[in-house]
Amino acid sequence: MLDATHPNGPQTETPVSTQSKLSAKDVNVHYGDTHAIKDVNVEIDDKTVTAFIGPSGCGKSTFLRCLNRMNDTIDICRVTGLITLDGEDIYNPKVDPVQLRAKVGMVFQKPNPFPKSIFDNVAYGPRIHGMAADKAALEQIVETALKRAALWGEVKDRLHAPGTGLSGGQQQRLCIARAVATEPEVLLMDEPCSALDPIATAQVEELIDELRQNFSVVIVTHSMQQAARVSQKTAFFHLGNLVEFGETSQIFTNPHDARTESYITGRIG
Amino acid sequence: MTNAASSLYTESARTKKRNSAERRFKAYGLAAIGAGLFFLVVLLWQIIGNGAGAFLQTRLSLPIALDTAAIEKAEGSMMKTSGYNKLIVAGLEGAMEAQGIKAVLDKKAAKALLSSGAPNTLRQFVLKNPDKLGQTVTLSLAGSSRLDGYLKGRVTRDSIADDKAIRPEHLDLADALQGAGLLRKSFNWGFITGNDASDLRPEQSGMGQSVLGSLAMMLVVLAVCLPVSVAASIYLEEFAPKNRLTAFIEVNISNLAAVPSIVYGILALAAFIQFGGGTMGIEAFRASAPLVGGLALSLMTLPTIIIATRAALKAVPQSIRDAALGVGASQMQAVFHHVLPLAMPGIMTGTIIGLAAALGETAPLLLIGMVAFVQTDIASASSFFTDPNVGMPAQIYIWATRADGAWYERAWGGIILLLIFLALMNAVAIFLRRKFERRW
Repeated sequence: MLDATHPNGPQTETPVSTQSKLSAKDVNVHYGDTHAIKDVNVEIDDKTVTAFIGPSGCGKSTFLRCLNRMNDTIDICRVTGLITLDGEDIYNPKVDPVQLRAKVGMVFQKPNPFPKSIFDNVAYGPRIHGMAADKAALEQIVETALKRAALWGEVKDRLHAPGTGLSGGQQQRLCIARAVATEPEVLLMDEPCSALDPIATAQVEELIDELRQNFSVVIVTHSMQQAARVSQKTAFFHLGNLVEFGETSQIFTNPHDARTESYITGRIG
Repeated sequence: MTNAASSLYTESARTKKRNSAERRFKAYGLAAIGAGLFFLVVLLWQIIGNGAGAFLQTRLSLPIALDTAAIEKAEGSMMKTSGYNKLIVAGLEGAMEAQGIKAVLDKKAAKALLSSGAPNTLRQFVLKNPDKLGQTVTLSLAGSSRLDGYLKGRVTRDSIADDKAIRPEHLDLADALQGAGLLRKSFNWGFITGNDASDLRPEQSGMGQSVLGSLAMMLVVLAVCLPVSVAASIYLEEFAPKNRLTAFIEVNISNLAAVPSIVYGILALAAFIQFGGGTMGIEAFRASAPLVGGLALSLMTLPTIIIATRAALKAVPQSIRDAALGVGASQMQAVFHHVLPLAMPGIMTGTIIGLAAALGETAPLLLIGMVAFVQTDIASASSFFTDPNVGMPAQIYIWATRADGAWYERAWGGIILLLIFLALMNAVAIFLRRKFERRW
């Protein structure tokens, strides 16, 4: 069923030679009759933070969800075009989306910890992927993940307390720990700070900067200041089009497109 | 409107209207709830008032001399119990003499006051205690339904004017016996554990057999409905593509939940008994078997449980599924590791509510003949599901159709028992929901 929803999906098996980690070529997304994403081309580099900005409903979240095939769960969603991870077409019928999502992790807008213990939240991914040989190895993975998410110090004494009992910011960092525990190569973050207060936001942003050492991070955000703070590359979406894509410093200081300039100066959106 | 009129201390016309509309609406609501409570109280009053008597039984305690020769003679004859009856009458005579009660105790008087099952009670006692032969034992024997009714106020001297079974002089004798302390009302365990009895012996009847029948049916319903409905719901809710076919199936599951239960009864009759038992020759599928009754009730209960299960699955936030898929769980892992455990309290509650509805269902049982007159106890565990039996509501229905007022009392008593079981099941449902409910 998962593959059947993409009858027009591109099918290339020969690796496409490219420098970038994730690459999208002429990607179109339809929700039923709505044309949500129009001919988007984007190159996402390894060990870089790429920000997607744009007004609400511009399709940036939709596009993000194409990158690990989370849109597969939506029946009426159709994706065409070519998206490659390390040169491999992720919409190839041979690709199991489950394997893909192990490589391309995701953090959602609203913190969504499982109603289980903090330990089990983080250990869930490694467990189902068989990443730990024994209990000690699993504990090591959980500790590393929580440390990377800058949560270890706050929860190390109550790993078996429910994850849902943490504060909003801690919950979101727990979700990030859960995502990095499976050692993904790319981490997709869909407005990870929209439900957080400024202090928690600052913690998560600091975290994103650290995660850049190991992962390629793609972050969707409504906050232009956040995009400017955390990202090296920025893509501006408007009405389903990728209007402009380039170095963050260039986008925010010297945009080439009039729409980008209007948006970042607050005239539209 | 002038400034003076818009003072906060005076209600404006519009505010007045709005407030009175609100008061009226509250009054309607209170009236509706009040009416509901009133009828509930009336219903409970009626049920308990009419049915509580079934849980009490008038008994005579009599010293009976177990004469060895008489008992051997009785065991040797065709009608074994009539010999025992003589012993009981002799015992009653002896008791009357001892208490100084002067009355003619003919055969009719003994029959009018003692249950026709009393001789059999005595015989069973003798068979169980052969060492007591030749001694005098004090036995507590069931009184007749007329005597029982007289002590409970159901039978009066006026009401027996045309009654052939009991005469006013018999009631005089009953008064005298009661004065002598030989009659007493005790808790009627036989009503809870006993079997059905023939028309003339309501005092000997009990719900026990039908409780077992209902238990067998509930086990069948649980075994069939829980796995089938959970599998169907999970598939429809989590895996099935949303297209016209699934939409059609969904609508029809809701429709099936509204189909009258008698339709399921006739379906079970045709499919299980006539086709399965008759054409296919499956031994277990026969009329009056709890297995077939349970399958009929399963057909009826399935849509209800599927609807409840799907609602429970729907109530699990999408973010939990996203979270699981986001770390690379397969769809099935997401469902079984995260969604199903969270939906479990709702599923269990729905299942128990569905079972409770099935427990109270009568119509399908009438159609498949689960109105059997069952006198003997169930022989073995294997025949538990296949021996002819009766369900609790069907037993109540049978009793309610019988003429004697004593049966009427039993029917109400059966309803009390049924309601107790239903209340227990609902209590379990509430307990499970409270215990396993998780919040996020």
